[in-house]
Amino acid sequence: MLCMLSVVETYAQRIVSGTVADTGNNPLAGAVVTVKELPAIGVSADGDGIYSITLPDNKKYTLQVSYIGYIPQIKVLEGKHSEPVDFFMVQDALNLNTVVVTGTRTPKLLKDAPIVTRVLTQNDIKKADATHIGDLLQSELPGIEFSYSMNQQTSLNMQGFGGNSVLFLVDGERLAGETLDNIDYSRLNMDNVGRVEIVKGAASSLYGSNAVGGVVNVISRDAKEPWSVNLNTRFGANNSRRYGVSVGVNQGIVQSMTNVQHTAVDAVNLQGDGDYSKIYGSKTWSVKERFVITPLEKLKITARAGYFFRERNSSEVSKERYRDFNGGLKGNYKFGANDLELSYSFDQYDKSDYQPLSRTDVRDYSNVQHTVRGIYNHEIGDNILTVGGDFMRDYLMSYQFTDGGSYTQYTTDAFAQFDWNPTKRFNIITGLRFDHFSEADVKHFSPKLGIMYKFNNCSLRGSYAGGFRAPTLKEMYMNFDMASIFMIYGNKNLKAESSHNFSLSAEYIKGRYNLTVTGFYNIVDNRITTAWNDDLKGMVYTNMANLKVYGVDANAVAKFPCGISARLSYAYTHEHIKKGEPLTSSTRPHTATARVEYGKNWKDYGFNLSLNGRFLSRVTTDVYTSTTSYEETERQTYPAYTIWKLSLSNRIWKGINLTLTVDNLFNYVPSYYYSNSPSTTGTTFMAGLSVNIEDFFK
Amino acid sequence: MPGVILILSLSACNGIMGGMYDEPAAETENDYGFIKVDESANSGVVYINASEYTNWNFIDFHKKKIETVEIGEGMQEPVNWDIAVHRYDTKTNNGVVLETEFTDFGALKALGSIPDGAFVADIWTTDRIAVDMSGMMDGVILYTESYYNPELSKWLNVDTSTMPPIYTMSKKVYLVRLKDGTYAALRLSNFMNEASVKGYMTIEYMYPFEFEN
Repeated sequence: MLCMLSVVETYAQRIVSGTVADTGNNPLAGAVVTVKELPAIGVSADGDGIYSITLPDNKKYTLQVSYIGYIPQIKVLEGKHSEPVDFFMVQDALNLNTVVVTGTRTPKLLKDAPIVTRVLTQNDIKKADATHIGDLLQSELPGIEFSYSMNQQTSLNMQGFGGNSVLFLVDGERLAGETLDNIDYSRLNMDNVGRVEIVKGAASSLYGSNAVGGVVNVISRDAKEPWSVNLNTRFGANNSRRYGVSVGVNQGIVQSMTNVQHTAVDAVNLQGDGDYSKIYGSKTWSVKERFVITPLEKLKITARAGYFFRERNSSEVSKERYRDFNGGLKGNYKFGANDLELSYSFDQYDKSDYQPLSRTDVRDYSNVQHTVRGIYNHEIGDNILTVGGDFMRDYLMSYQFTDGGSYTQYTTDAFAQFDWNPTKRFNIITGLRFDHFSEADVKHFSPKLGIMYKFNNCSLRGSYAGGFRAPTLKEMYMNFDMASIFMIYGNKNLKAESSHNFSLSAEYIKGRYNLTVTGFYNIVDNRITTAWNDDLKGMVYTNMANLKVYGVDANAVAKFPCGISARLSYAYTHEHIKKGEPLTSSTRPHTATARVEYGKNWKDYGFNLSLNGRFLSRVTTDVYTSTTSYEETERQTYPAYTIWKLSLSNRIWKGINLTLTVDNLFNYVPSYYYSNSPSTTGTTFMAGLSVNIEDFFK
Repeated sequence: MPGVILILSLSACNGIMGGMYDEPAAETENDYGFIKVDESANSGVVYINASEYTNWNFIDFHKKKIETVEIGEGMQEPVNWDIAVHRYDTKTNNGVVLETEFTDFGALKALGSIPDGAFVADIWTTDRIAVDMSGMMDGVILYTESYYNPELSKWLNVDTSTMPPIYTMSKKVYLVRLKDGTYAALRLSNFMNEASVKGYMTIEYMYPFEFEN
């Protein structure tokens, strides 16, 4: 009986084949062909762009073809079909057909996203040759500045918002651990990242606490090839080195992506004067595994696990170690056009000190977060209703608490969003979220209203969004002796930071040109900071007076068929605070990034020459002459600078890529190393090699 | 199956893998003092809690005793002591100190005689021994007047021109001629406890230190 069935099946099977090429009839090796109705079936095109796929029967099926940087195509196959099915793919010059999720928590094409979203694609990541998220954001976006806070810890300023006001997510999950209000950016390495989405402005109606100034969401890449092995390495100045291995499998209902990366750099002695004279050497190890199984057509289960290790040689007698363990399980089930997602996420971030003398590694910080989430999307015609909720347990043990003690906080929230499309041109998005924090006793509502209107080649977007940040366990319970110099005390009576974000944006798209201008206005209330308290003779966490941050972002892109493309991005930011109040930040008012590139591709060779520049204007700020009083200030000016990078990427043969980079092309060396100066010693060179083993067999 | 393993391994509410770290030994008063003594080799290890700005820790190599005394008006020094330590600062009881070029006792011993170089006596200071750092951010540090041995204090250099300061141990052997004419050889081997808190001094010593010739 079984024999008979298989014979019958064999009879009914049919093989569909054809070629995938670009509009110039150049084969697109590696283009992925899938069947919409059968998610478990997928093949990739060989070196000549030829694919062949086996369908189980003669029913009607939809073939989908995708290739990075090209607009995806579909073709419906009616019943019996014997001719080749060829695809001619059109380049997505402006990445407008990239799917984004961060602005609405539902997949949308970039051009249809009602909330202004900036996407950095896999191509952008490759061109920036970024190791981690910090490198990438800094080179691609204006208004982003990473500088040093105390003890060379990394500190972010994104248009007036610090590290704890910008929410960093990986596939929608938040990250445990922080140092001086910033997550460990080096944890987010760019290997196996499909894209990075950046939404500026408040987004607490979807993401809750910390989404005050923006959200950065790192989206993992799925394994698309039946199997793939990538080996990559890069060498640069100061003995900086990077080694990576990625192994992907995509067989039937199972998909897996494994990634191991190691980086290291020696200490750098700076020649000039400065707030610091030596950049610490460091090394990292990262292991990531993401496993996807599709046991039923409607059910997708994702399991993931990761380990990260970083060691910093901050002193001869002690090395700081940072470790992260994370894991998660997510199930997504489709009911017709609706879908339900349930997930559990675990993230643990530890800090310890390793003493080479006594060979002891003693932990003094551990932040453990468990999060359970449910999201349900319900389609009503062209409209989508999203409802969801999270429960999080946040445990923090820290050397900054009395006797290295620990505290636990529970966060509960529920949110709803309605994505209403009354006409093809109109999109209105409304949302509301309620968050409750057990220890901080914060109950907060975050609303959102966004409107998009499209006409001709233009899209107009306007939005109001509420943002907030609940006081953290650190800010409530700190009791820390700062080197016997002063104490820092937490404050149980802190109010949540809250913000109102208004934004207006106009986008013009025509053919190969795209121009976007966005104006924003933020009112930030109760920002949490430390201030000297005379009664306690120490620093105490306290809420600041009302602050306003406003500015303009502009972004222009042009891509020409001859292989030349250019992008220019500019940001203006202004912070306004009541006179007499301490303004602790030094946000540069004008910043810009620029990229001009030229590339050509042949069958066995291709190149891309790209010139990237960053410009940061000077900024003058008032610095308090004393920590313990806000009476006297002195003027401090940080100089403007520009840094350029020239990079030549060569596709030599099949899957071999060689990238040569000249960083700091015009040899900028700060005359004094301030904490916000680029920590460069002048022009440096880098060489990188990447090999895709699977391409050898195509 | 991987999912089940994942969930089981992640069930620990307050985190996993705690066992990979070292537990700092809970320190009590009994952990300080002459923690290792080798009578036959005249050598040993002294471990003291010198983390308080307000204390002097007096070390007596003759009787293998340590006494901690709070700095203040009418501070009573012990009757017998050889050297004293305050944070990383040192003084001697009418002794003199020579920084040798050696980083282990054996090499100094093998030299067979007192190395060349000038022995340095204590000096009287008014701006070395800090007792109150609470005004440091305003440039006000309170000092106590005291003797101070600049030579022995070279065992740890603290460069405060950058924040945080850079700590560099000389790792050298110091030869101290005590007031009774006997010699002690000292070497600072650590200035932190296992939890990396600074001001916990581990001092290797040989006393009496005798040259072979």
